[in-house]
Amino acid sequence: MMPDISIILETLLIVVKAFIVTMVLFVMPLPLTWLERKIAGHIQVRLGPWRVGPHGVLQPFADMIKLILKEDILPYKADRFLFVLAPVLSMVPAFAVYAAIPFGESFKIPGIEREMTLYLTDMNVGVLYILAVSGLGVYGMIFGGWASNSKYALLGGLRSSAQMISYEIALSFASIGVVMMANSLSLVDIVKAQGGSLLNWNIFYLPVGPIWFAVFMIGGFAESSRIPFDLPEDEGTLSSGFHTEYSGMKFAFFMLAEYIAMVTISVLSVIMFFGGWNAPFNIPLPIPPIFWFVGKVAFFIYVFMWVRFTLPRYRYDQLMNIGWKILIPVSLVNILLTGFMRIG
Amino acid sequence: MGDGFKIFELVKKVLFTDFVKGLSITLGYNVSRSITHRYPDEEKWIPYRRFRGLHTLNKDEHGRELCVACELCSKACPTQCITVIPMEDDTGRGIADRVAKVWKVDLVRCLFCGYCEDACPTRAVRLGREYELACIDSRCNVRQREELLHPQPTPEAFEGGVVARATFIRKKRSIKVKADLMNTKKRSI
Amino acid sequence: MEQLFFYIFAITAVVAAILVVSMRNAIHSAFFLIVCLLQVAAIFVLLRSPFLAAVQVFIYVGAVMVLFLFAVLVLDVGKEAFREHMHSQSVPSLVMVAALLVIMGFMMFSGKLTVPPGAYNEAALAKNTEVIGRAVYTKFVFPFEVVSLLLLIALIGAVVLVMRERGKGADRNKPEDI
Repeated sequence: MMPDISIILETLLIVVKAFIVTMVLFVMPLPLTWLERKIAGHIQVRLGPWRVGPHGVLQPFADMIKLILKEDILPYKADRFLFVLAPVLSMVPAFAVYAAIPFGESFKIPGIEREMTLYLTDMNVGVLYILAVSGLGVYGMIFGGWASNSKYALLGGLRSSAQMISYEIALSFASIGVVMMANSLSLVDIVKAQGGSLLNWNIFYLPVGPIWFAVFMIGGFAESSRIPFDLPEDEGTLSSGFHTEYSGMKFAFFMLAEYIAMVTISVLSVIMFFGGWNAPFNIPLPIPPIFWFVGKVAFFIYVFMWVRFTLPRYRYDQLMNIGWKILIPVSLVNILLTGFMRIG
Repeated sequence: MGDGFKIFELVKKVLFTDFVKGLSITLGYNVSRSITHRYPDEEKWIPYRRFRGLHTLNKDEHGRELCVACELCSKACPTQCITVIPMEDDTGRGIADRVAKVWKVDLVRCLFCGYCEDACPTRAVRLGREYELACIDSRCNVRQREELLHPQPTPEAFEGGVVARATFIRKKRSIKVKADLMNTKKRSI
Repeated sequence: MEQLFFYIFAITAVVAAILVVSMRNAIHSAFFLIVCLLQVAAIFVLLRSPFLAAVQVFIYVGAVMVLFLFAVLVLDVGKEAFREHMHSQSVPSLVMVAALLVIMGFMMFSGKLTVPPGAYNEAALAKNTEVIGRAVYTKFVFPFEVVSLLLLIALIGAVVLVMRERGKGADRNKPEDI
């Protein structure tokens, strides 16, 4: 039986799309590190990177060359197997999440009259899949911390495991809220449910929308272990936590995973609360939906960096208190409220 | 105070007012101009007159050296970094018939305290405003009389305390930042 | 094609499961247990129940194993504890495994363990979550509630176990640093 030509084309298209998404994600940290340092500089009334290229735009490439050329250190008595595996373990889930994330709706390619979708798959359990897979990234931290044979790294691994467990609950509750508001687990349907105008966005689903968004954002900051919740790599007390002993490309993989996690949370908050690729109001100009999507995501990435250089780090017991004693009760009450609103 | 106060605090917490306050401050700084000097590429800080940089040996208005090699500077120096060897000369090189044969200062030991300045009876020694003292070999750590007699790029009369436009000159043996004293601005704070 | 994938997942799962019990290091065992659970999730996908697969990854791999690892990291189980990792139970355990294999093989070949595979077309697959939800809240609502109650009891029990009596613990308000 000869396979149909359209099936081959379809498969090829999926492979090409996966390749493009992966490549974009691989390259993404380069501009993001530059942006982060630039924003840090300007918030602290400095200039940030300046000397490598105009306005320092080539700085990430210089960093990349440095990381590639650095010695790859394997600590004495480290667990070789898990030490090498840990960076990969933290990186793969970060990429795998994007299998279910939609970047836009399907559109017709002008020349050949074929439908093309701007997502890899539209899973009917999309939200669950993303939560499940993005939670796997913590194993990189735990195993990396344990395998380093270092006390700082072990403590970083411990902290990250406790933190992830605590905040995954809040994050999942917030997602449940969104699922209740949109009546679907599929991310494409969630975005479609927010179409029309600004007021249909989940963030404006008063009064529960903003609460869900606050819970989601706090959980998201903790899940991507960014300041103010970057306890796993707290420089002040743990030197740099679970990746203390890592150097060179292995360290770069951890950084890559962390930046992609930040992008993931930004993308998710756009999809779940800010209408995805829907325009905020009707504009007669033919602006492609992907423009809105990228613009909103860029804004959230800026928010992540903005917060990083504004807030100090929480103490560990404060972190646990916020997670268990505030976010979870608030989420439970909010689920009840959302349920009543959906019935009524 | 009391319950009303507590409720007010709770409302503030729920609305994230503290976060918003902090974020708005950082946003304000983010869009404000940076205060970094673009040294050495574009700008250079010209210090005030009171600055104590590299030594100069001054001359009077007729071009005669003011230094009479009295060695008071080297006596006053707490680190003994100044070496003076006097000699007799009546050709009119100095203001008296005693001039310095050697006047050198070891910049590695000098702590720029300015005692030599104070000790000098003829105001020949002054600490100038040159501060780019690094170089690529250790010989330049000791500065000789001949070199110090050259007038420094920032004249004594110049007020200072400004940021001047500058050009970065890269040569094979040295680098230099040349300030344009005609094109200056006050430091933005 | 599907069979090929099934065999890949199944063989990896079995190999990982064997490694779980044969590894001397608890952390390595945990790692292979994660691998095994992920393979099982993949097999759930092949069985047309993506919801179950996602939940498997979410709860077992994402939460239970993290807690398990947390405990192992805190306990600091030395290598000595695992020197004798069979605890001289190899003969009874082998017997049990053999018995289980025989029973399962008998069930399978006599056709008592087969279930018709679920609907395959996309429309039916999209309803996967809905079908489960409907079943849980209508037909199986009593067992569901019993299980919920059981979990709640376990939760309260855990809290009671770690709670110190009032006044006894002087340093209760001390931040517990990890």
